Amino acid sequence: MKKFNKKFLCTLLSVSMLVFMTACGGKSDSAPASNSNTASNSDAKTDTPAAADTDTAAPADTEAPASKDGSVAVFYYTYGDTYISSVRAALDSALDAAGIKYQDYDSNNSQTTQSEQVTTALTQGATVLVVNLVDTGSDDAAKNIITQANGVPVIFFNRSVSEEAVTSSDKCVFVGTDYEMAGHMQGEMIGNYLLENYDTLDLNGDGTISYVMFKGQEGNAEADARTQYGQEDADAILTGAGKPALSFYDSANSNKYLVDQAGAWSSAAATEYMQTIMSQYSEANNNMVELVIANNDEMAIGAITALQNAGYNKEGATVIPVFGVDATDAAKDAIAAGSMIGTIKQDAEGMANTIASITANYMDGKEAFDGVDSANVVGTWRVNIPYATYTGN
Amino acid sequence: MAEKDNLKKIGDLLLNNAMYIIIALAVVYITIMRPSFLGIPSIVNILSLTAAKLPIALGIGGCIVLTGTDISAGRVVGLTACISASLLTTVFKVFPDMSNAAPLPLVLLLVIGVGALVGFVNGFSVAKFKLHPFIVTLSTQLIVYGAILMYLMRGVNNGQTLSGLADNYRSFITGTLFSIGGVAVPKYVLYSLILTIIMWIIWNKTTFGKNMFAVGSNEEAANVSGVNVMRTIIMVFMLAGMMYGITGFLDGARIASANANTGLNYECDAIAACVIGGVSFVGGIGRISGIVVGVLLLQIIFTGLNFLAVDANMLYIIKGLIILIACAIDMRKYLVRK
Repeated sequence: MKKFNKKFLCTLLSVSMLVFMTACGGKSDSAPASNSNTASNSDAKTDTPAAADTDTAAPADTEAPASKDGSVAVFYYTYGDTYISSVRAALDSALDAAGIKYQDYDSNNSQTTQSEQVTTALTQGATVLVVNLVDTGSDDAAKNIITQANGVPVIFFNRSVSEEAVTSSDKCVFVGTDYEMAGHMQGEMIGNYLLENYDTLDLNGDGTISYVMFKGQEGNAEADARTQYGQEDADAILTGAGKPALSFYDSANSNKYLVDQAGAWSSAAATEYMQTIMSQYSEANNNMVELVIANNDEMAIGAITALQNAGYNKEGATVIPVFGVDATDAAKDAIAAGSMIGTIKQDAEGMANTIASITANYMDGKEAFDGVDSANVVGTWRVNIPYATYTGN
Repeated sequence: MAEKDNLKKIGDLLLNNAMYIIIALAVVYITIMRPSFLGIPSIVNILSLTAAKLPIALGIGGCIVLTGTDISAGRVVGLTACISASLLTTVFKVFPDMSNAAPLPLVLLLVIGVGALVGFVNGFSVAKFKLHPFIVTLSTQLIVYGAILMYLMRGVNNGQTLSGLADNYRSFITGTLFSIGGVAVPKYVLYSLILTIIMWIIWNKTTFGKNMFAVGSNEEAANVSGVNVMRTIIMVFMLAGMMYGITGFLDGARIASANANTGLNYECDAIAACVIGGVSFVGGIGRISGIVVGVLLLQIIFTGLNFLAVDANMLYIIKGLIILIACAIDMRKYLVRK
C-alpha cells in the first residue's frame, strides 16, 4: 500500500510538472513561433539551430512582420526593478513588432547567475545577446561575456559598461544613458526650485536649507553619481545666486547620505529612515528637514509616505519638497497630487526601441547604428538615451 | 570558597541577562550622546517600528521552536502587501476592470488565507516528507517570488510599483490611535499588541501551544505520548503564514508602495530577533516576551546607531556580532542545563 502511494505520488508530481511546464512554455513561445515564416528578405547568414520550426509558414501569417533568422537572448539584471520592468515590457513588444524571436532571462541581481545564463543561451544558439549587466563595479564581467560570445553580437544596456570593454570587440555596443546626467539634472532642478521658493522652504528661517539624501546602494556607479551631483549641482546654483549651500540635516554624519542597507533602493528603507529622522528633527524643535533628495523614485515615495504619516505633503499641509529619479507611474501620480515636486525621466520606450533596432541591424548584417538618431550616438560604441526633467507640467 | 561561589553566581547572572544589560548600556550611552533619544517622539518612533516588525517575528518564532526556520516569510509579506495594495487602491492597474476598492475585512481575510496557504504547503512538506524546513521554505520562497513578479505584470501594471492606496486603508493602519505630547501613535501599534496577546494565549494556554513545545523538544517522545505531530507542525507553519499575511497587510499601507522588493530579507531580521530573544534553535524553548524583547533590542540598536550617525558599513558588523553573542549565550545556558 505504502509503495503504491509513493509511486502514485511520483507519477502525480511528474504529470503536474509536465502540465505546468507546457502551460507556461506555451504562452511565451506562441508569439515568436507564429511569426516564424521563412524570412525570405533576410540574407540568412547564420545557420540557426532554431531553423527546424521555421517551415511552419501559415497563410494566416501574411499580416505579421517578416521574421528574422536566429534569436535574441535578453538578460535583465533583475525582474524586481520597477524601471527595468518597464524597459522589459517595451522591449518585448518592440521585438514582437519586429518579428524577432527572443528569450528573457532574470539574472536576479547575481552576476554568477547571469554569466551562467549567457553560457546556456549561447549553447542554445542565440545569435544576439542583449545584456543588462549585474556587476558594474569592474570590467571583468562584461569582458567575460564578450569573450564567451566569441563573435556573437552583444548589446549591453542600462547598467554602465566601460568604453574599453565595449570596444574590445567590434560586435559590441552599449545603449545607456549618460548616467552622470541624471544626477546633474536632478541637482539643477533642485537648485532652481529652491531659488524660486527659498523663503517658503526655509521653515525655521535660518537662511539655509537642511536636506537629507537617500542613496540606493553602495558601490553602484549610478547611485554614487546621483548622490554626488544631486547635491553639488544644487549647491552650485544656490551659491551662484548668493545663497548659502545646502546643509545635511545631521552634522555628525560625515557621509552626508543614508543608504538602503539591503542595497535595494527600496521605499521601505526610506520610510523608516524618514520616520526616525522626524522623531528627532521637527518643526517644533526648529530643525525640520527642509528638502528630501532621493536616488530613485522608490525612495522618494517612501520618504513621502513617512512625511504624510506625520501630517506633511498632503492637501493643505506644508509640503517638504521631495525629488527622485526615474519618473515611475507612482512618482508621476505623486507629482500630480502635489506631494512630490520633481523627478528625472528615463525614457524606457526610447531605450527599448533603440535596442530593438540595433538587434535587427545585427541580424540583417547592417551597420549597428543604422537608423539610430545620430545625435545620441557617441563614437562607434555607445548610444545615450536622453533624460528629461519631469515636474508634471 | 563561598565567596568564589558568589562571584560565579554573579557572573552567571550577568551572562544570563547579558541582552538586557546590553540594551540598558546602549540606551544610556546613546542618550548621553544624543539626549533627544529618550524624547517622546523618539520613543514613539522606536515603538512603532518595533510594532511593525513584531508580527512576522511572532510567526517565525513558532517555526524556530520546532527546531526549524522559515525563510519564505519575507516573500510572503511581499506577495500579501502587493495583493493588499492592488485591491485597496484608487488606481486599478492590476485589475483594470475594478472601479471601487474592495472591502477592507475581505482583503484582510484574503491575505491571511494566502499566508495560511503558503504555510500549509511549508508545514505539509516538512511533516509529510520529513524535509528540513530550510529546504522547504527555500523552495516556497522562490515560488512566491515568482508569483509576485507574475502578479505585478498582470493587467496594465507592467511590473510597476503599486501606489495610490485608498484613504480608508491607509488611515485604518497608519491613522492616529492617540497622541502623547503632540506625537501621534499609529494604529498598527494596537494591532501588533493584539496579535502579541493572541500569540501569547496560543503559546501558553492552548493544547496546540503545549504540543508545539513538545514536538519541538522531542518529536518522537511527543508522538509516543499521543501528540498528533503532523497536524501540529502543519498548524505552526500555517499560523506563521497568517502572521506574514497580516504583516503584508500592515506593510502595504505603512510604506504605501508595494513592489517586487517589498519584504525582501524581512525574515533575516525576524529570525535574528527571535534568537536574540532566547527562542532557541535547539528546539522547544522560547517565550513570546523574549521575541518582543528581541525585536525591541534590534530596533533600539538600529535607531540608536542612526542617531549616532554611525557608518552604514559598521551596522552590518554590529548586527552580526549581536546575533553571534546572543546565540553563544543561549547555547551556554543549554549546555549548563545538560
